[in-house]
Amino acid sequence: MLRRFFQGLDYPLLGLTLLVSGLGVAMIASATQDTRLEGLWMGQLWAIGIGVVLLLIVAATDYHRLSDRAPLLLGITLIVLVATLLVGPRIAGTKRWLSLGPVQFQPSEFAKIIGALVIAKLFSEMKKDSLGLGDLLAPASVTAVLALTIAAAPDLGTAVSLLPMFFVGAFLAGLRYKSILVLSGFLLVVGLVSWEFFLRDYQKARIYSFLDPDLDPRGSGYQKKQSQIAVGSGGLTGKGYGLGSQTQLGYLPARQTDFIFSVLAEEFGFVGVVATLGLYLALLWRCLDIARLARDRLGAILVACLTATLTFQVVYNVGMVAGLLPVKGLPLPLMSAGRSSVLATFISIGLILSVRIRRFAN
Amino acid sequence: MKIYEDLRSAQARLDGLQNGLLALVALLLLQFWLLQGVNSKRYRELAENNKIRTLSIAAPRGMLTDRNGRILAENKPAFKIVVTIGPSGSIDKISKTLAPLLKVDEAEIFHKLSRPRAAYQPVTVKAKATFEDVAAVESRRVEIPEVSVEVVPVRSYPQARSASHVVGRVGEVTDRQLKQPAFADFEPGRVVGQSGLEALYNDDLTGADGLRRMVVNSRGIEIELSEDQPARAGGAVELTLSADLQTAMEAAFKDRAGSAVALDPMTGEILGLVSSPGFDPNNFTSGIERSVWDSLTRDPKTPLLNRAIQGQYAPGSLFKVVVAAAGLEEGLITPESTTFCPGRASIYGHVFKCNKPAGHGYVSLGRAIGESCNVYFYQLGARLEIGRLAAYARKFGLGSVSAVDLPNEASGLIPDPAWKERLFKTPWYQGETISVSIGQGQVLATPLQMARMMAAIANGGRLVQPHIVRLVAGRPVVYEPPRSLGFKPSTVAAIRRGLFMAVNSGGSAGLARIVGLDVAGKTGSAQVVSSAKLTKGIESIQPHAWFSGFAPLENPRMVIAVLVDNGGSGGAAAAPVARAIFEKFFGVGVKVSPLKQVSP
Repeated sequence: MLRRFFQGLDYPLLGLTLLVSGLGVAMIASATQDTRLEGLWMGQLWAIGIGVVLLLIVAATDYHRLSDRAPLLLGITLIVLVATLLVGPRIAGTKRWLSLGPVQFQPSEFAKIIGALVIAKLFSEMKKDSLGLGDLLAPASVTAVLALTIAAAPDLGTAVSLLPMFFVGAFLAGLRYKSILVLSGFLLVVGLVSWEFFLRDYQKARIYSFLDPDLDPRGSGYQKKQSQIAVGSGGLTGKGYGLGSQTQLGYLPARQTDFIFSVLAEEFGFVGVVATLGLYLALLWRCLDIARLARDRLGAILVACLTATLTFQVVYNVGMVAGLLPVKGLPLPLMSAGRSSVLATFISIGLILSVRIRRFAN
Repeated sequence: MKIYEDLRSAQARLDGLQNGLLALVALLLLQFWLLQGVNSKRYRELAENNKIRTLSIAAPRGMLTDRNGRILAENKPAFKIVVTIGPSGSIDKISKTLAPLLKVDEAEIFHKLSRPRAAYQPVTVKAKATFEDVAAVESRRVEIPEVSVEVVPVRSYPQARSASHVVGRVGEVTDRQLKQPAFADFEPGRVVGQSGLEALYNDDLTGADGLRRMVVNSRGIEIELSEDQPARAGGAVELTLSADLQTAMEAAFKDRAGSAVALDPMTGEILGLVSSPGFDPNNFTSGIERSVWDSLTRDPKTPLLNRAIQGQYAPGSLFKVVVAAAGLEEGLITPESTTFCPGRASIYGHVFKCNKPAGHGYVSLGRAIGESCNVYFYQLGARLEIGRLAAYARKFGLGSVSAVDLPNEASGLIPDPAWKERLFKTPWYQGETISVSIGQGQVLATPLQMARMMAAIANGGRLVQPHIVRLVAGRPVVYEPPRSLGFKPSTVAAIRRGLFMAVNSGGSAGLARIVGLDVAGKTGSAQVVSSAKLTKGIESIQPHAWFSGFAPLENPRMVIAVLVDNGGSGGAAAAPVARAIFEKFFGVGVKVSPLKQVSP
């Protein structure tokens, strides 16, 4: 049993995960040296350690057993999310954190995993090869309820990252191309309507300043501008580890969390960017390979959903750092400092490994 | 439990997802290539600007002092209110708070602060701040920490209007100046000399601004000094002028328009130089108000014109000094030879009147100068003819600039046939020579040129280089030494005798006489161009009144030229002014210290 477990583990994936995490620790150390956050990398290392333990526990657990308990887990998640809204502390104008004794964590990070489980379960139970729009009703409702609860924090970034998971699930489950077209059109309309009626002013301001950073160089555009300066000034080979002026003199905002990739781009240049994005590409590619190896629809869709969320977060965060996308509070999986993000990512990869270990039918 | 599911279509779709992933990563890499490969130079500059704050340190402008160390131009500290605002500072809040404190329009402050600039670059919101402004800002330091008071040097002229044409004025560098190579290093808004010595010695007075470059972090806190280049103060300029004498000379004019120049006849040092009316250069130091400027430029008495070197007048009878020297040197007359003056002379078919209609009778040179007999000089001028007249006038430095160290000097004019042919394409008429021989007609000279001419008689026949600056940044300025005109001693002596008679023997300059001081001199009246009378229909327009002379007769220490605009006769209007100046200079209470010897 144990032998089979360790034989089934995917060592390239595990290695890539630890490599990227280690790179993250190094960048956090650089970003926080000589500041009051100095030593934060130690905390990150601890989180990674705990993450590895959780990863192994989850990998050892049969994903079917988790999937069977998905409705219960969803219920608990919703309760915790609502509780966060009600009793959680207000930090920087948002209610995203919940205190559990001395530790604070961000329930929305874990809600995404539960979301993947529920969506994968719902899609895998549709016993047909071709899905229409009507088949999307149940998974769409679950996604919407989860997303809206998270968005109320407000945490639009995390809420939006549930969408790729839903679409990839539907796509793999066999949604017809015609339906995909109709759905895309529908979402465009929804997007326009929410812009008009639901987006808060600060959210709109971010999008405006994204479109023209000089419009408000000291407000929302400031972060984007400073990040672009950090990245661009890194040049081909970077300024050297611990020597990025944008990072070290504090011009770069949220440099140990959301903008950790700017630190890397400034200090290691284009060479470092190519290498790091190469690692991420290999990691996510490997995950999709595992989805292809899965023995059942549940496994394949679950892995694909989790990978979709990870991919969305990586692409969005790196795109934001490069000035391609509006600034959102989305961490870079595995590299950004943050306990909840690290643990949730390791649990996700644990689930993916669980599918791989059980890829053979018996 | 179902053992087998058909996953083939899902697996095919996974291939599509992997391709999509590849495309996304490729897109990201393309953007990073644009940032880090193509445009990295621009971003490196932006990063550099981010971390470096550059402050310029104004170099104090050099002082101007008179020969006794009295300050003519200095720098006084002035306050300016600056705002240093970081990326998070609220422009709105600062403008709202500052506007009532400084009594400045809120929109104006807001506008100044919203202009694009590097973070933490100080912005001046009020340049000429009062003590009340400073107190108001300082008392609100806690509330608006972005606001601070800076002390900057501003030009100040403690003597105000006195010697304003010599000292000159400063002002912001003009657009036209910025295009000239001399101002290549200046930035718009920089205060530079605009007239007088402030302009001529601008380079020496300016010094070099200092520079401080500091590495700052994102909160504007200075981390380290990366470059410190202290300001180099401008060099001081010491004048030959005596502020005491200058004040006395200005007082002698009261509110009349005119000019006076006092020279040391031995060296050419300018002891005083008046152009009346003057102006207060303090009005210009931090931007002149429109109304003040208009009143200066529209004033018919042209206060901005430096009459002493820019005013060109017919020298009148003062020119007889030149004619006398020419006659003596050319052997046409001797000091003793006489001419009969019947009150008029008929030359070249024209009748020319003497200033004394009854006639002077037989006159020798001494009386001819002393009583300013025109007939004597008509006859002499006719014998000299225009060529020799003009040549001797030029020997005395007339008709060309003296190269005094003041800007925009006028050359005056000595007419001759070549000049007339060139300008009017008409031949020279003999009658014009007669007008020239009493300093009328086309002859023009500045008061400085008259003083220089008279100095050559006072010092025994040497032409001096007039100058007004002794030391620049502690180093003496070297001028051409006095140049001998090659006159016979008897020539100079005869003219001196005539000049002494003019003042002391009932001559035309009798009002310049001072008991106990041997004053020598000559009056003159410069006829205002007759066409002005005709066109304006003004009958009563008065000629300009001249006096030029020196004292004491032996070893003279001062030569002066005085011109009173439209003063009437020289004897009545200009001689008393000269007398007042002589009295001050040689009397008590006016100090002209002997020159400290400065080795070049």
